[in-house]
Amino acid sequence: MRSNTVGWLMLAPTIAILGIFGILPFIYVLYVAFHQWNPFGANPDMVYNGANNFRRLVFDGEFLFSIGVTIKFAFFAVLSEIALGYLLAQLFMREFPGRGLFRTIHTLPLIVAPIVVGSVWRLMTTPSIGIIPYFLKSWFGYDLNIGRDAGAAFTLTVLMDIWHWTPLVTLTLLAALLSLPKEPFEQAQIDGANRWQIFWHITLPMIRPAILATVFIRLMDALRTVDEVWMLTSGGPGAATRYVGLHIWKIVFPKTDYGYGAAISVIVLYLTLVMCWLLYVALVAPRQKKQEAE
Amino acid sequence: MAEVAVRNVIKKYGHLQVIHGVNIEIADGEFVVLVGPSGCGKSTLLRMIAGLESISGGEVLIGGRVVNDVLPKDRDIAMVFQNYALYPHKTVAENMGFPLKLKGRPKEEIAAKVRKAAEILALEKLLDRYPKQLSGGQRQRVAMGRAIVRDPQVFLFDEPLSNLDAKLRVTMRVEIKELHQRLKTTTVYVTHDQIEAMTMADKIVVMRDGHVEQIGAPLELYDRPANVFVAGFIGSPAMNFVRGRIEARDGGAAFVSDHGTVLPVPAGTAPRAEPVAYGIRPEHIDVRDGGISATISVLEPTGSETQIFAHLGGDAINAAVRERISARPGETVPLLIDPARVHLFDDKSGARI
Repeated sequence: MRSNTVGWLMLAPTIAILGIFGILPFIYVLYVAFHQWNPFGANPDMVYNGANNFRRLVFDGEFLFSIGVTIKFAFFAVLSEIALGYLLAQLFMREFPGRGLFRTIHTLPLIVAPIVVGSVWRLMTTPSIGIIPYFLKSWFGYDLNIGRDAGAAFTLTVLMDIWHWTPLVTLTLLAALLSLPKEPFEQAQIDGANRWQIFWHITLPMIRPAILATVFIRLMDALRTVDEVWMLTSGGPGAATRYVGLHIWKIVFPKTDYGYGAAISVIVLYLTLVMCWLLYVALVAPRQKKQEAE
Repeated sequence: MAEVAVRNVIKKYGHLQVIHGVNIEIADGEFVVLVGPSGCGKSTLLRMIAGLESISGGEVLIGGRVVNDVLPKDRDIAMVFQNYALYPHKTVAENMGFPLKLKGRPKEEIAAKVRKAAEILALEKLLDRYPKQLSGGQRQRVAMGRAIVRDPQVFLFDEPLSNLDAKLRVTMRVEIKELHQRLKTTTVYVTHDQIEAMTMADKIVVMRDGHVEQIGAPLELYDRPANVFVAGFIGSPAMNFVRGRIEARDGGAAFVSDHGTVLPVPAGTAPRAEPVAYGIRPEHIDVRDGGISATISVLEPTGSETQIFAHLGGDAINAAVRERISARPGETVPLLIDPARVHLFDDKSGARI
């Protein structure tokens, strides 16, 4: 009994912090989501209006568009990061001169704050002063203008996310690859597997947990991207890169429509959970069931 | 099935040479054991035969074909690793069938071959299990099953029993030997355990520091070791060595140790000026009247035999006798050495005289 009490006491600070900074705000957001509340609107008071906020967002074209474009962004960014991160991890498994230096340098983007990443990319891509449009124009004759070209703006946000977060994927996958025993790979060589078969039948299943964990982390991050994109494109041109995080920000801050913003936040949280759960069901659960059955 | 030949094979890691021109000829269907202390290069040599290590010089032939630049998968070999190297995410059946699946064989054929191999190794009930649900011995059998299923030209074993407990090791030793007698596939087996080498091999290759010290049938190595190293390595308990000279005595010759102990030598031995190492196996010393009297320091009765650690003047000697000894430490016993079973080596070079 005594050790139990001590255990709870030790956990208490964590639980308190988690409660104050995690659970209480969430409950408050949930509470606000069921109210009409715009302090600078016609009626500044908080008025209960049932599920009206949720009814409104179902028919809100801007919101639905932002959800769609966010999923598209997350899909391209995470998929490329996993693929590129895996290739880099495989590269770092090999011996080559300057490997240690290169390993260190390649993780540097991780320690740069998103807002700084956004500003730097903004500087580099601003038409007429940025280095990237300059060279694209002089070498390929391509006119990059993220203020006008929606496709280019979207692509750049994806590229920026890849630049910023691929090192994280590389690090986790490298750790996973380094921890693998080498004999199954030698055995597979003897068994007659070529490189692709070794990757598909041996490497991939053995690092699957690490890949899944990384995908979850990156997916959740990508779905709530705000600051980098805000610095780079401010959600533009038009609403082309107004990802859902930016959309919420626009509603809550400039428009001060707190109730509606809270409702969208709750729905986005729900959608994120559902997507992660679907991913889990699709990739993990069938294997576990198979193992349990035997 | 095929013969294997290793000709003048060299292995270098940068400037460090670990294998120095090894030559081994392995006949079709032969069971050859590479044995030696750790770091002698036996595993490296096996991995070179498998194709997992590049060959820095010389040739490796399998079935008459030079395979130096042939990929492991095209050498038609199967290998069993010390830690089994099973695929953790595949069931026993999938593990065993994987090589055939890679070759694109039909499912029915794979299933039939896996079932047949499982019968040979008594694995039928475990086919749907995952490696982590198996014991060490079972895993080792699965690894062997995977080798059998492929029906390769050569089996390669890299210390397959080292991770098993002593009792299981003996059982598996017999199983592997039975398997070989049944399949008659050419086998190269690496171990550091000379008992495994003696009991399983048709031919033993004793290695040290990247050199072959001696190649021969187990009993040949036991009866006529080519040098001090082989003499000391093969046989348990290990051979006694005493340093000294061979001097003329009573019309013949006798060995006189550095401490002055006189020991008998085989008939016809000529006196020698250079120092020699005198070797006698513990089991070739008897406790019998007429022997040289020695002082017992420690007795180790094991039931089937008794080991006596004794002193002959200044020389320590170890004898293993069938009888039970009633004497106690500190007392003296007469030790009778069979001169015909004495081995003499040049003390400097270690070579047999």
